[in-house]
Amino acid sequence: MVGKLRFNAELFFTFCLMVLGVVVLIVSIGYGFGTFRRPGPGLYPFFVALIIILFSLILLILGVRAKSGEPLFTKSGLKTFSFMVITFCLWIIMMPVFGYVIMTFAVAYAFCKIMKLEGWVKPFALSIATAVFIYLLFEVWLYIDLPRGIFGL
Amino acid sequence: MEGWTLLLAGFIHSITVVNLIACFIGALIGTIVGVLPGLGPTATMALMLPFTLRFPPETGLIMMAGVWFGAMYGGSTTSILVNIPGEAASVVTCIEGYQMAKKGRAGAALTVSAVGSWIAGTLGIVGLQFFAPILGNAALSFGPPEYLAFMILAFVLLSNLASEAPVKGMLMIGLGLFISSIGINPLDSVPRFTLGSNQLMLGIDFLPIAMGFFGIAEILNIAVETYVVPEVKKLRFRELYPSKSEAKRSIAPVLRGSILGFFIGLLPGPCTVISTFISYSIEKRISKRPEEFGSGAIEGVAGPESANNSAVLGSMIPLLTLGIPFAAPSAVMLAGLRMHNVEPGPLLFSTRPEIFWTFIAAMYIGNIMLLVLNLPLVGVFGKIATIRPQLLMPFIGVICLVGVYSVRNAIFDVWIMIIAGVIGYFMRSKWNFPVASFIIGVVLGPMTENSVRQTLMMFKGNMGLILHRPIAVTFLSVTMAYIAYRVMYPILIKRVKAKVTGA
Repeated sequence: MVGKLRFNAELFFTFCLMVLGVVVLIVSIGYGFGTFRRPGPGLYPFFVALIIILFSLILLILGVRAKSGEPLFTKSGLKTFSFMVITFCLWIIMMPVFGYVIMTFAVAYAFCKIMKLEGWVKPFALSIATAVFIYLLFEVWLYIDLPRGIFGL
Repeated sequence: MEGWTLLLAGFIHSITVVNLIACFIGALIGTIVGVLPGLGPTATMALMLPFTLRFPPETGLIMMAGVWFGAMYGGSTTSILVNIPGEAASVVTCIEGYQMAKKGRAGAALTVSAVGSWIAGTLGIVGLQFFAPILGNAALSFGPPEYLAFMILAFVLLSNLASEAPVKGMLMIGLGLFISSIGINPLDSVPRFTLGSNQLMLGIDFLPIAMGFFGIAEILNIAVETYVVPEVKKLRFRELYPSKSEAKRSIAPVLRGSILGFFIGLLPGPCTVISTFISYSIEKRISKRPEEFGSGAIEGVAGPESANNSAVLGSMIPLLTLGIPFAAPSAVMLAGLRMHNVEPGPLLFSTRPEIFWTFIAAMYIGNIMLLVLNLPLVGVFGKIATIRPQLLMPFIGVICLVGVYSVRNAIFDVWIMIIAGVIGYFMRSKWNFPVASFIIGVVLGPMTENSVRQTLMMFKGNMGLILHRPIAVTFLSVTMAYIAYRVMYPILIKRVKAKVTGA
């Protein structure tokens, strides 16, 4: 069942690329194909879309013939992967509100825990060190003004 | 003569505190990255792009080249000591290097590898110094049709050499070309594929895509995979001396590897990796002691380790003379130079010669730095290999987030990086899509479109006129010959096999 999921996922991805190619092809005609003498803005993406469609179609045909391989994720792997992606997204959403220093600390701590760093002392020390380094690097050495959030940090 | 004067000026420019520090930091970080499995030179160079923006373009170029070069040096350390290649170009070194370590000759293997890398690096720089300006001058005669024909050749070779599945390679190039066409088209100011978004009007920046595909995807991969911490044997300084016969046996492979690597660097694809495999097979074939291969032949370390270093320099030639990167790290370099408003290409040598010559001079210095850094500190770098990558990933993850945001102060870019990272994770780790082809497609997209449209306008729509351009015809002929070879070779082999079994 899991093996099947991997096989379908790759095939589905290739299929999505083919659909993307078709959409690009249709939209590029709308931009104006022009003539070969005076090419319009749609001409180049039109040919790029043809490349995408052609090669994704070949891959789809080859993929249908291929046998399924190893599973996409183990149960714990899927959990780790999802938590990592969620943590990245949380930084993006919350950084403008809480400021980059606090969010750097929080996200680094979360990464440590997701990557199974035992206890709290090591992750805490590592996260503090990361936040301080990021502050020094961007604020002090590179003079880059980054959002400080509601706490002004 | 003029070249030497310019080189001397380059030395004067490069011996500034900032450039020397940049060179040292690049070399050090590169070596560490080479030692650590996981993050490769491309991801690291992409990660460092935002920081290089604070410095002049030549400083940025020096730092990034230092990383790439350093990774080639560092990669051999773990290959020899623990049989784990720090990055792809050191896979071959594991074969003989680790066998030598098992026999107690790890120190000799490391020294031969470092000195070989240094010799290859120096020869590569000499090659770059002489060939690049000549080829740059020759490339001045390139018009849009020549560029177009050359890019078709590059794409075909790249899709074949960068992956086992050329179809996937071509698909990735197509996808990269499409991504680069998003935004306002500078030729006729028409917004394309922007979905009504203001942010997409400016196009999708290269940096978040590169950091996503190489940085975030690798972090996700390391987080999901389990990593077994290797045991590293302690090495004493006096153990580093190779014996007389080992040194003698290494000279010819180092020289062969240096020349071979440099020329393979001129080809599209992962030149550093390909050069090591070819060098190894050549050394094995011409060796007087082929039976030793597989059980610790020094030639199998000396040749490939030299080849991968000079390949780095060889691959700088198409980048600097034509503005066309053939490998993922040089694509990042091109993006870095563009961020500094420097467009590499034939005009670089006449408009901004100081960049090229400062870079060459700094490479000479950096190469010596790497040798000095690598030999005495081999024990320290060996220790670094025992650090669990999980310990470094929180730090690298945060650097990616803040780094990408800091370039344009745009949350949109960070989203792009995460999306690229998630897609890149599956593409690289699960489905073996050649991500390097995609990245090169993104970088070369605008140039390809310009060449296509300018060629069409030049020829008034009659593409047949390209046959009147000898240089373009040569490139197209090589492309056709290569495609014919790829298509016909398996068929011929099948027929011959059928005949043999039938007989």
